[in-house]
Amino acid sequence: MTCCASARRRAPILPLAALGLALAARAGLCAATDWELSVDARLVDSNAEPSLMEGGLGTTRFSSNDDGLQLGRIRLAVTQPLGELWSAHADLSMYDDKDRSPVGATEAYLLFRPYPVAGYRLRLKAGAFYPPISLENRAPGWDSPYTLSYSAINSWLATEVRPIGLEGTLDWLGTRGGHEFDLGATGGVFGWDQGTGVVLTNNGFSLTDRQTPLFGRVGQPGANPLGGAEPFLQFDHQAGVYGGLELRYLDRVVLRVLRYDNRAEPLADDDTTANYSQETRFTSAGARVEADHGWTGIVQWLDGETITAQDGVPGGLSSWPFRAQFALVSKRFGRHSLSVRYDRFTVDSVNGWGYGAQDGHALTAAYVFERDAHWRCTLEWLQVVSSSSSRVAFGGPPLLTETQLQLAVRYALGSGVY
Amino acid sequence: MTASLRAWLALGAVLGALAPAAGVRAATLVITVQAADGRPLQGVVVAARSLDPQAPRPAPIKAVMDQIDRTFTPDLLVIPVGSTVTFPNTDRVSHQIYSFSPAKRFQLPLYRGTPYPPVHFDQAGVVTLGCNIHDEMVGYLVVTDAPYYGRTDARGAWTADVAQGRYRIAVWHPRMRDSEADLERELTVGASDRAALTLRLAKALQPAPLSDRPHSWDY
Repeated sequence: MTCCASARRRAPILPLAALGLALAARAGLCAATDWELSVDARLVDSNAEPSLMEGGLGTTRFSSNDDGLQLGRIRLAVTQPLGELWSAHADLSMYDDKDRSPVGATEAYLLFRPYPVAGYRLRLKAGAFYPPISLENRAPGWDSPYTLSYSAINSWLATEVRPIGLEGTLDWLGTRGGHEFDLGATGGVFGWDQGTGVVLTNNGFSLTDRQTPLFGRVGQPGANPLGGAEPFLQFDHQAGVYGGLELRYLDRVVLRVLRYDNRAEPLADDDTTANYSQETRFTSAGARVEADHGWTGIVQWLDGETITAQDGVPGGLSSWPFRAQFALVSKRFGRHSLSVRYDRFTVDSVNGWGYGAQDGHALTAAYVFERDAHWRCTLEWLQVVSSSSSRVAFGGPPLLTETQLQLAVRYALGSGVY
Repeated sequence: MTASLRAWLALGAVLGALAPAAGVRAATLVITVQAADGRPLQGVVVAARSLDPQAPRPAPIKAVMDQIDRTFTPDLLVIPVGSTVTFPNTDRVSHQIYSFSPAKRFQLPLYRGTPYPPVHFDQAGVVTLGCNIHDEMVGYLVVTDAPYYGRTDARGAWTADVAQGRYRIAVWHPRMRDSEADLERELTVGASDRAALTLRLAKALQPAPLSDRPHSWDY
């Protein structure tokens, strides 16, 4: 099966960092740095199969091997203004789950944000960042304030979708001019994306809050099926693109739609390992509605396919169409909140001897208590029911119910935490 | 001159500036604003502009609009034309204030504390303020050339002692869907002691901003 090895070509992180430092020096670091540090510890009880990071086919972040005290995440985020209109952002995380490096960057980019003119505002990003898809991951560090585990859609984005390139957004700020709507259009051009889809092909969807750091690894070398896949690879010369629209009604409703295509050449192979790239394209759409008395509703939808070369199949190409949806309802009671989410997800296998087909659904219930801006306590129950042909291929049961219970305590401090 | 005498003289000067023109009999003007459903509407900006070209213009003031907990505080100020406003940032995070409103276009580059001098507002109109870092921050300055202005109280009423004469009454609220022109009225304040006007909006207000959402949200 397809499986990715080390990257042949790295994103120009070092030149970007050098540019950032040069701009910082030029600006004289005149504006103060904003920063945030958080530590998230978990108490876990799970009956799930070995997880992605263990190289298994479990659909939750923690497996039955992880019962007890675990590190949720240690996160350090820094925003450094570079003059009046530029800033540099870095989001570093540690998950303690045997990635190649104990600390990795989940996002790192330069942001150019000129002042709005006549009601229009332009923003440009250069670096590595999430495309504007998730309506759930709205908290610092791309976390969800509603649950610990992200939805299947946003877990997949966290695992292997991270454009490394340029993004431009043009907003019409209607609400600043007496209107009730804002409109935004976003476009991105990116590379280092040829591994995007390999986790979906082999493991299918999962529900996790582990974000693959830039040039990090998913799974462990030698542990099938992934064998330590690296989603952020580049070994052809095709740039990926995405474009999206966003509509906002006051501060209550957000609608988003986005089309993504990494435009990878599926027959391109890595010179060293002879692994093929993944051509992955999808359309996403979602809506978030917030109402009085602390009610929030979110729905998201994803539909796409990932294609890669496979020896011995007609045409030499196999395809895995995938679809996922979720609906979330949340209610805040002062410093407490209750959230329930239902996920559906499917991966089909076309021309690939059925390998990689998955069908499942999940129910998540979470209680969050925010004592203040520093302390947050979350209790989450997650149950995933799934069928997986990959699991059968590796000797597992065709249908499996996995349950994960987590108690999380997070402490955060920083210039923006008060 | 003692400090006490200076204080009394200053108070007298302020009261003198606020009083109706000398020699013109004063009357009490009461403007009441109701929502479309008839309930009293609090916080509506009311301006009574004299149609007498000789009427005195309001004296400029020095005002302060702070930024506390990623919120403009207060979120709305009514100031006379020619006034200045200082925008300190009391937060521990930097803000970057802007306005692209026709009445005043300006920017205050990324800052904390009070590094910038007061901003001068020399044109009447509504100035909408935003932060280029934190989109959820919205503030309003209503710059007026009316000699009498204020905001309605919990009973939806605004009261002022005004000189006799003819006035154009205008009202404004950040969430108002009615056009300002539709709500403008002319009113003659005559010899009686009291003149009153009740205005009722034709359209429901926009929903109020959600207030209980943690400010750290919205990645």
